[in-house]
Amino acid sequence: MKLCIFEDETFENFYPITLTRPTFDLRCGHTLLYEKILRAFPDMETCFFLRPQLAPTFRKKVEGKSVNDLSALNDDILMINGRTLFMDTDIQAEGDEEIGIMDNTLVYARVKKQTLDKCRADSFEAVLKNIKQVLQKKETSVILISYLWELFHNNGKAIEDDFNKLPQKGIFGNMAEGAIIYGDRSKVHIGKGTEIQPHTIIETAGGPVIIDEDVTVTPFTRIEGPCSIGKGTILFGTKLREGSSIGPVCRVGGEIEESIIHGYSNKYHDGFLGHAYIGEWVNLGALTTNSDLKNDYGSVQVYIKGQLFDTNDTKVGCFIGDYTKTSIGILLNTGTSIGVLCILVASGGMLPKYIPSLTWYYKGKIAKGYGLETMLETVKTSMNRRKKELTEEDIELLRYIKRATQDERNTIVRKARTENN
Amino acid sequence: MASTEERVKQVIAKQLNVDISDVKDEARFIEDLGAESMQSLELIAAFEEEFDMSLDEDEAGKVKTVGQAVKFFEDLLEGKGNLT
Repeated sequence: MKLCIFEDETFENFYPITLTRPTFDLRCGHTLLYEKILRAFPDMETCFFLRPQLAPTFRKKVEGKSVNDLSALNDDILMINGRTLFMDTDIQAEGDEEIGIMDNTLVYARVKKQTLDKCRADSFEAVLKNIKQVLQKKETSVILISYLWELFHNNGKAIEDDFNKLPQKGIFGNMAEGAIIYGDRSKVHIGKGTEIQPHTIIETAGGPVIIDEDVTVTPFTRIEGPCSIGKGTILFGTKLREGSSIGPVCRVGGEIEESIIHGYSNKYHDGFLGHAYIGEWVNLGALTTNSDLKNDYGSVQVYIKGQLFDTNDTKVGCFIGDYTKTSIGILLNTGTSIGVLCILVASGGMLPKYIPSLTWYYKGKIAKGYGLETMLETVKTSMNRRKKELTEEDIELLRYIKRATQDERNTIVRKARTENN
Repeated sequence: MASTEERVKQVIAKQLNVDISDVKDEARFIEDLGAESMQSLELIAAFEEEFDMSLDEDEAGKVKTVGQAVKFFEDLLEGKGNLT
């Protein structure tokens, strides 16, 4: 039997973060959504289905696994919608053929090879459609992530689940004298090669704390569980509050609350980040700060597919796409969405709530940037500093994003220019 | 009506705050006319407004001198260049 993890048609709800990765590659807790599914079915051969433009970069990431190859559907298959937050579900590999549905969305399908052979088609979407028509439906109940803010709101629970499922828990790194665990010590995992320097406080009353391998935590850092910190990250006197996950190889300071930093990003300096999801290779300048609560305690609106959408949620900060850089003193309003490869230069006020990919914000307006090819040189430099390379696949994806977002960019830049004249 | 060359040079002079007599064909935007990063972006915006078109940032970014800019817009207006 094989495992198939697929991305469904809701990927735009997760822009700008899913411009550069499939939905199941989003972080919730210490691990990514697809890693939680793989963990539940460790011995199963796996194939993935996702948007075609993302296949080359994702194929590189999961080397050896099948990506967007219909011929891999040649066995009994357990298909799982990749935006399922896979914790404590009753989805099993073994059992009768069926599809699990929640709110009219296919959560999983257990399909025999014979049925699959009858459902063959020339696209994965068509195969799935055929399966839906022939298999018995069963109502199921899982956490199906539908919007970015649901990731950080579920982050605490996901960290707790990740902590409970760690193969080995304990303190394997070095905790300096003067570093304190305030609360239950058994709720802390510190990986090998990690150094917790003096005057660090790790507080576990609210939940567990996972600190992965080769992390450095400098003095005056306060970590409130539930919290997770990825491999190779450095915390600089950070006030890391509950429900936050910092991915691998980040440089993080200031105050962070219930936020997710995907990985390889810098927020070195002071400034508040709350209820936010930050992509990879992002650099937040000193004192970059986002609001995550309106003064009237009303629900926060977010731009999705060009329209303002009511989140029905009072705590939503910002979403920042990969490779974006902010200057010192950037102020972001509640529910702000910033695309991929943007440069934001502070002008004193709040930024607009939506800034399209590959633009600059400066002197209080959105403008076209230098162009992708120039920006790629800067990206290569910042990645080389972390001993990573911008691959040809990454470049092709960014060129695709440039083309795909061109009309939106032109429209918004023109509108901004008219409004400012 | 002003020629394309005159329009391009007027935009450059105004945007970079330089005398029109300094806007010679061989003048380089960065080294000779002092167009730093932000000014380059403003220059692209000013050209888009002057010629009422959306430029491809990568194509515009290849233009390094005044003479190249004149040729760039002449080609575009004759339908030889790329818009977005």
